[in-house]
Amino acid sequence: MRNRREKRGQFIIIAVMLTAVMIVSIGALMHNAITYYKHEPWEEYSTLIGDIEINSRRLVELSLASYTNSLEPIGIIDSNLAKWEDDLIDAYPSSGIVLASSSTQMLSSTRTGTKTATSTAQAGFTLDIQSIGLEGYAFNVLTSLTLAIKETTAVNSTTNEIIAVVKSETGMPVTDLDATNFKVENATKISVGSFYDRTNILEYKIVYDGPANASVEVWDQRGIRVVSSQT
Amino acid sequence: MRIKDLRNKKGQMRIIETILASFIIVAALSFVGIFAVSPTSPAYEMTDLEKMGYSALHDLDQQGLLAPIVYNLRWSDLRNILRITLPNDVYFKLIIYDTNGLAKTSDSQILYGDVNTFSEAKNVASITYCLVGIPKLNTNGTYEADYNPLILVLEVTRG
Repeated sequence: MRNRREKRGQFIIIAVMLTAVMIVSIGALMHNAITYYKHEPWEEYSTLIGDIEINSRRLVELSLASYTNSLEPIGIIDSNLAKWEDDLIDAYPSSGIVLASSSTQMLSSTRTGTKTATSTAQAGFTLDIQSIGLEGYAFNVLTSLTLAIKETTAVNSTTNEIIAVVKSETGMPVTDLDATNFKVENATKISVGSFYDRTNILEYKIVYDGPANASVEVWDQRGIRVVSSQT
Repeated sequence: MRIKDLRNKKGQMRIIETILASFIIVAALSFVGIFAVSPTSPAYEMTDLEKMGYSALHDLDQQGLLAPIVYNLRWSDLRNILRITLPNDVYFKLIIYDTNGLAKTSDSQILYGDVNTFSEAKNVASITYCLVGIPKLNTNGTYEADYNPLILVLEVTRG
């Protein structure tokens, strides 16, 4: 009876020690579970990827703008992207960033018979960031500017009116254009206004003094140029 | 007499057991407390500052505001826009470099807070952000769209 009572005291201490071990184990597990997300700077990673993605897109747009303004040859896109890939390694030396571009294409063309012209560039990218274990993150960049001449009407013997639709790669109309963004061949006194259209949402009315079937050029705010010939 | 002694000893043992048990539980809780990272600890502070800096630059760039301001050398506007984007108690210093490592701005040009704040602060987060260039309208109406990369290094700390 006496021995049993002595052993009971030991049992309480063992039970308390087991409880302590459980507290420590649960504490460690909960600590890992709660702080795992906090210690991984996910937002930094996504921002870094976002930075590379936004500026890769911008570089494709710059290359297309450069090409369509006839300042550079068609290979400018590959040349610019190669420099960008090298510069990223220098800018983030400890991140192990490897950006690879492929399937680059650049085109500035007029579709005959439709009075529609398009300047377009596209590139595929694969991004590896070794420091965060990111491998094979792929994204595509497509940028374009389309100009469609909907109709041309003569206002009088010297003045003509063109209804034009300008769209970006999203298929939505480009809204922030004015007279400085348009050029009509051999024309003077150009005035440009925009209005709502049920089909195209936004159309531009170009009124000018000059020949009836003149070619029309337009530049958007990214500097991309497109030329539509009406003949 | 014997039974009385036994009862006395039993009471003492219970007290000793209770004290020991309390010690063990307190020790266990203290040990777990070592791992707890409070919100004000340097581990969180650095992450928060980096997150804030990255988000500010990324948001401004995504909205198309950052590149035109940087390439048109509007340093005062850049300082103001960063002041609006970042919380009031966050001090910042932005230096812009070209790819050869040459600084385009001085230490005090795009600065909010005292220069000493950064040398004396315990936690200063440094953020690197790259830009590729913007198209420039020439006087003849054509656009010049060159690849002209710049590296933005933003240092942020809490005042």
